[in-house]
Amino acid sequence: MGYSTLLFLHVTSAFTMVTAAGLFLAVALAQRSDRYSATALRLAPVASILWPIGGLLAIVFGVWLALHDSQYSLADGWIIAAIVLWVIGSAIGGRLGAGYRKMATSGAAADPSALVMNLALILTLVVILIDMIYKPGAS
Amino acid sequence: MTVLVIRPDSWNLPLLLHVGGAMALVASVTVAAVALIQGWRTGAPSSAALKRFGARTLLYAAIPSFLVMRIAAEWILSREHLSNSNAAWIGDGFLAGDAGGLVLLIATIVANVAVRRDPDSGLGKLAKVGAGLSVVLIALYVFAVWAMTTKPS
Repeated sequence: MGYSTLLFLHVTSAFTMVTAAGLFLAVALAQRSDRYSATALRLAPVASILWPIGGLLAIVFGVWLALHDSQYSLADGWIIAAIVLWVIGSAIGGRLGAGYRKMATSGAAADPSALVMNLALILTLVVILIDMIYKPGAS
Repeated sequence: MTVLVIRPDSWNLPLLLHVGGAMALVASVTVAAVALIQGWRTGAPSSAALKRFGARTLLYAAIPSFLVMRIAAEWILSREHLSNSNAAWIGDGFLAGDAGGLVLLIATIVANVAVRRDPDSGLGKLAKVGAGLSVVLIALYVFAVWAMTTKPS
């Protein structure tokens, strides 16, 4: 697979992750309003599908890109930072998805920390994007 | 062959805003599409709440994200001195950006008019048009990502 195709698949996977995070955030914000709280949970199953698919493909194609291109190395600081941030983001997103699934299926109460976790996830994704664009330490 | 893996520093901020705006745009249009489609599949009153949620998401999240993405696109083009370029991938980007912007505007208007006309009932024809246009937009954005990353000549 060529560089352009790998880049397309990596970026599309990243867009999928961000879309899932957007759906998680929409559910969390809706929980603050009586008008939307119950119905917005219908968005959660789609987010719970998109998050693991986007996350897994983003890391697979990202590592593939790093191995494919001689200008990159998996030992580069900005790539290591991205992988660490990806692990943090995956853990937060996985926990959010599981919590929303539980709410939708068993009617469990909303996790009071869900909004904070959503903001932490958005912050993590923003820092990953900054890292990908600025590539600190790359020569 | 790989070219320009490392960009000049002055390109980074507009590129960050362009890509970040595009990601927020795709996420918010998808949130709206999922809400409207779920509203289509369910009965009132859930349907009415999902219709309102989808319409408001288009208005308050998708439109501002589109503006950030589109303004930053002009900024990065001027930084790269590509404003007058005839490259196919830039044309594809303008197609997805400007035609997509028009489709987004129509989707936002029809969905919000549907909410205003009939706030307590199901989707109705107008909101269904908004749902359909949101799905068309997602397909257009996948094409835009393909054009921006593969840069076909």
